[in-house]
Amino acid sequence: MVPEDLKYSTEHEWVRVEGEIASFGITHFAQESLGDIVFVSLPKVGTSLSAGDVCGEVESTKSVSDIYSPVSGVVLRVNTDLDSAPETVNSDPYNAGWMVEVSVANGVSGLLSAAEYSQFLDGGV
Amino acid sequence: MADFGGWEMPIEYAGVLAEHAAVRERVGLFDVSHMGKVDVRGAGALAHLNALLTNDLGRIVDGQAQYSLMCDVDGGVIDDLIVYRWSDSDFMIIPNASNASDVVRQLRSNIPSAVEVVDNHDQRGIIAVQGPRSSDLLTRLNLPVDHEYMTVVASRYRDYDVAVCRSGYTGERGFEIVAPVEVIPELWDDLLKYGEDLGVLPAGLGARDTLRTEMGYPLHGHELSRDISPVQARLGWAVGWDKPDFVGREALSVERSVGPRRVLRAVKAVDRAIPRAHMSVQAVDGRDIGQVTSGTFSPTLKVGIGLALLDPTISAGDRVFIDVRGRLGEFEVVATPFVPAHTR
Repeated sequence: MVPEDLKYSTEHEWVRVEGEIASFGITHFAQESLGDIVFVSLPKVGTSLSAGDVCGEVESTKSVSDIYSPVSGVVLRVNTDLDSAPETVNSDPYNAGWMVEVSVANGVSGLLSAAEYSQFLDGGV
Repeated sequence: MADFGGWEMPIEYAGVLAEHAAVRERVGLFDVSHMGKVDVRGAGALAHLNALLTNDLGRIVDGQAQYSLMCDVDGGVIDDLIVYRWSDSDFMIIPNASNASDVVRQLRSNIPSAVEVVDNHDQRGIIAVQGPRSSDLLTRLNLPVDHEYMTVVASRYRDYDVAVCRSGYTGERGFEIVAPVEVIPELWDDLLKYGEDLGVLPAGLGARDTLRTEMGYPLHGHELSRDISPVQARLGWAVGWDKPDFVGREALSVERSVGPRRVLRAVKAVDRAIPRAHMSVQAVDGRDIGQVTSGTFSPTLKVGIGLALLDPTISAGDRVFIDVRGRLGEFEVVATPFVPAHTR
């Protein structure tokens, strides 16, 4: 459950980079650890994020976790479908459960490859 | 799995929301064998218990069950529990797991010589079968289902004596089956097997908490404790005020006449905030009015709900604010239950 074509953070976010646009969400591992997700709060469009910033929250029936931006840039879009259907993050974390789209003119850095993230999950890093 | 008062307990199986829905719509199973099981027997058992517990056992007849509290002399709550009355000299008590040994100790203090207290904590297990299809499921196992809410019937299962209690902690029609530990695994497996086409699901502590919170049922350690009296928790209905005496009576009577300094209220989110225990509560004018004791996402209402000990001037209909990790969430003070109960 670690798609090959994505990059990852050690905070269990995935990043899909397409040109100068990056979208991100939380990984399969993260959604499974959280359990049933009931609320997702996301940053406002236009917010300037630095990698590592807390930019939102994911709350499950069990607990609440911060979302850390894995990239630096300006928020272009957020997935407003998650307002009414937060469980999408559980059912499809890498596609319909995407959270934030960011303009990354300066590229992305400090992220793990799929293989590195898999190794991280296994406690190998 | 999580440690819960020394018991290794499942938080969830299929997931809190699926388990919660199974109990509200079909039937769910809870292994609540961690709860205490205490028998109190012998001539004088009724009077002994009536002096130690707040509720009046004279209010129920043989075969009935009663919610009651064990208080200390200051009116603090040692535990809340259910008493099942087989006869005036034979009672079964189900205390909370973490308080069971305190309850047993208290029951054995100043005990009349003819009364015996038998602690069956490790000898018996309890499976709670809860939900609208619970009667259908028990019928398939040839267990009795026709008795009323808050009554108990003795029965047999696979050659073991069991008690089938029409009670629960979910707000749905349901049963709690108290049985010797030897037969608990088979009972659990049989309930799952015969309930498959009814849509039965095993349910964990997570769903147990969302279900009881939707009912506004108190949980000891949250809404009740040595520091939180039944008067504050608005459980005066579980106190036999007309009884001659019981431990805590004087302190509770004083608190009742003076008025409690804080009162348990239910709050429901106006926006999207989810309250959690220990969050602070503010009035509209910003003054501190209390603390959340339990809070969760209501799977039925799809909003945050909670219970909170608040200043006694606050009442149903009022708006309050809860500090949810630095952001003020708006809540309405409401009556419980949050969703209609279907226990009967």
